[in-house]
Amino acid sequence: MSAQDKPAAPVIADMQNLRVQFDSKRGKVHAVDGVSFQIRDGEMLGLVGETGCGKSVTGRSFLDLIPQPPATIAGGKVLFRPRVGALCPDCGGDGCAACGGTGSETLDLLKIPAARMREIRGARIAMIFQDPGKALNPTLTIGDQLAEIFLQHRSAALLDEAGITLEDTGWQASALRRMAHEEDNWLDRRMRKWPPLCSGAQRLSKAVADRVAAALAETQIPNPVRVMKAYPHELSGGMRQRVMIAQALACDPDLIIADEPTTALDVTIQARILDLIKTLQRKRRTSVLYISHDLSLVRRVCDRVAVMYAGRIAEIGTVAQVFSNPQHPYTQGLLDAVPRAGTRRGHLASIPGNVPELVNPKPGCRFADRCTHVMPQCTSADPVQTPVADGHQVACFLRHPREDATSPANEVAVS
Amino acid sequence: MIQHPNTDTVPHQKAGDTLLSVRDLCKHYPIRDGILQSTVGQVRAVDGVSFDIRRGETVGLVGESGCGKTTLSHCVAGLTTPTSGSILVDTGRGAPLGQEDQIDKMTRDQYTKYRRNTQMVFQDNFASLNPRELVADCIGRPLRIYNEASGTELTERVVALLEQVGLGRQHLYRYPHQFSGGQRQRISIARALALDPDLIVLDEPTSALDVSVQAQILNLLWELQKERHLAYLFVTHDLSVVRHMADRTVTMYLGKVVETAPTETLFRGSAHPYTQALLAAKPDLDDDPNVPIATLEGVVPDPARPPKGCRFHTRCPVATPACGWEVDDIVRLLEADETMFSELQGVARKSDLEAALTFTSDKDAAALHAAMTSERMPDSMRVATEHLDLKGRTLNVRFRPTEEVELTKRGDGHHAACVHGQ
Repeated sequence: MSAQDKPAAPVIADMQNLRVQFDSKRGKVHAVDGVSFQIRDGEMLGLVGETGCGKSVTGRSFLDLIPQPPATIAGGKVLFRPRVGALCPDCGGDGCAACGGTGSETLDLLKIPAARMREIRGARIAMIFQDPGKALNPTLTIGDQLAEIFLQHRSAALLDEAGITLEDTGWQASALRRMAHEEDNWLDRRMRKWPPLCSGAQRLSKAVADRVAAALAETQIPNPVRVMKAYPHELSGGMRQRVMIAQALACDPDLIIADEPTTALDVTIQARILDLIKTLQRKRRTSVLYISHDLSLVRRVCDRVAVMYAGRIAEIGTVAQVFSNPQHPYTQGLLDAVPRAGTRRGHLASIPGNVPELVNPKPGCRFADRCTHVMPQCTSADPVQTPVADGHQVACFLRHPREDATSPANEVAVS
Repeated sequence: MIQHPNTDTVPHQKAGDTLLSVRDLCKHYPIRDGILQSTVGQVRAVDGVSFDIRRGETVGLVGESGCGKTTLSHCVAGLTTPTSGSILVDTGRGAPLGQEDQIDKMTRDQYTKYRRNTQMVFQDNFASLNPRELVADCIGRPLRIYNEASGTELTERVVALLEQVGLGRQHLYRYPHQFSGGQRQRISIARALALDPDLIVLDEPTSALDVSVQAQILNLLWELQKERHLAYLFVTHDLSVVRHMADRTVTMYLGKVVETAPTETLFRGSAHPYTQALLAAKPDLDDDPNVPIATLEGVVPDPARPPKGCRFHTRCPVATPACGWEVDDIVRLLEADETMFSELQGVARKSDLEAALTFTSDKDAAALHAAMTSERMPDSMRVATEHLDLKGRTLNVRFRPTEEVELTKRGDGHHAACVHGQ
């Protein structure tokens, strides 16, 4: 596990107290309410939780994909430090507190201008969506969709491969530059078939096609050339998800947000896709935020795991810590609810009650009304993240050091 | 339990009696093409399936998507008419199942009994409830249709049903969208319970639910089964749920049953490589995270032209020459290799086992000939090739004839369709 072998790996993304609220008829829904976590370079962080706990919103906030309105970002920071980026403006690359000693610039993804976000989106941070059937454009061939990423982020390299240098002037070079930036106008499109332009346009298309084919081949898609000509509906679910992964990895991003990438797939295909994500992640040392509701999958692929409940992080730690020694009653309940070999029929431990409504929530632990260990302070104050072991934090009053919580804590340890 | 004035459960019927028996069931869907929409092929969604459901037992039905498990469950629930084969249902005649109990041959009276004794719960709990209908109407409808109750009695019966599934009187006059997914699934279960059926067909009842809600629903289903002596046909792709719920498990692959066994036997040692692959592919909270997940290579073949012999042989890690290799297997392998497939001009078949493959050039035919005799093809396929000769652009190939792979007994109630261990 990379996180444990290299504790010194630099932090690549740092979410600090993110709060996202959605307007609704009945008031503000506090979908994400003070979420903080860090993702280190080359690490795979799992984000688990039930439907509506805010895990997808958390993931999407990295890419400014939250629709505003109805949403408002009520506070917090999403800091991101590209692996290869500009130097830190504070210290000029020598390493200071603001850049965590790495010397590279730290961006607050919630504050940067839209144009800057477009440069990052797809190139530095990419996303794999849950349903590849919906995330791919049904009117474009796979090749055309994947070409967009390269035209958006790799125009310079494409022009270089097509033999257009910076010194080239004249209308042909300008037209090709426009094509390589996806800014071609109607005249360019008319002209690209005709002699003054066609050879350059062909070289450009070939450069794009080569890159697309290479990206597809990396995700073990057989016959990339045929798949490029296919429309999404012609491919199977597993193949579409491979295309999504190829799309996400196309520009070798630093961080991938994988939002339930295998939920729509069969168990045998799921195993292969997981294998693929894990292999590519190891090979490129990409950081991944793996959002899932499937605990057994997260246990398999992730280094660390954060358990979310009702817009907050209940527990965060390494996979070994959280799965073999869960500290939060919610994590314990969630793990017990999974049918296992030993559980007797009809005796699955289910968590009583329902997920609370997040409209104008009262202070206190969100899990209090379903928790078997509820104490008076649980409904009056918010529990804070308390370290219980190295890298293992839990937001529960049972674990607060200042509370005299020895007896209920022991009870939890036993149960 | 709610007592009906004219209940259909005959008291002398006890646990273990066969409630429903499926015999050689086939459901083929025609593929239509051309201007005249003539039938050009058949999608064999369910292709010769037999199994029994006994009273009070849970039968798990597992398989990948597209293996025909939903089609089969629809046939059992009477929602689709099978192409051939029969479904025998005990409608309380008090005699062993026979010709008269076939659902397409039985009397109208019996058929009505079968329909009310077999209910269904669907996967998508939102789509299966009418969004314009109140919960009271939705659950009360079966009771009204069968003239079981009306007026205040109807309302009381609905309240009793709601209470059974963990809801209450306060939920009577609400619309489906006002409930959470788990609650909607409870409403679907209450509706299925309304007529006190013997069998409930559960088509992926928990796959749209979260794990903690799934636990609640599974516990509820178990309580209801104990109380009402229900039989379940539990269709799912989640093996941990099957292991938890089912007494017996039927594994399907491409429209055929490949293995059927008591659930514990299956999980302790399954006899079919497909079941083994399914079990290995499922990550479990108790397994060792450092052992890589076993993956299954290849894709599910087209059910319109399923492989001969054992349908799993194209992906099977332990395939033998006796598994039913045929000409289509070469075509499938060529399809996977784009460059060679584009050079293939025609396949002249004498039978499924014998054909002449013509390529555009001598070179391509020779390349396939070389591949057919090399490590690139599965060992078992090479051994199964009886005759292979190259004449210019044409490659003649003949496979050894093999027998169909039938389900054979492997243990107490354990049957598997595999050449290994026969």
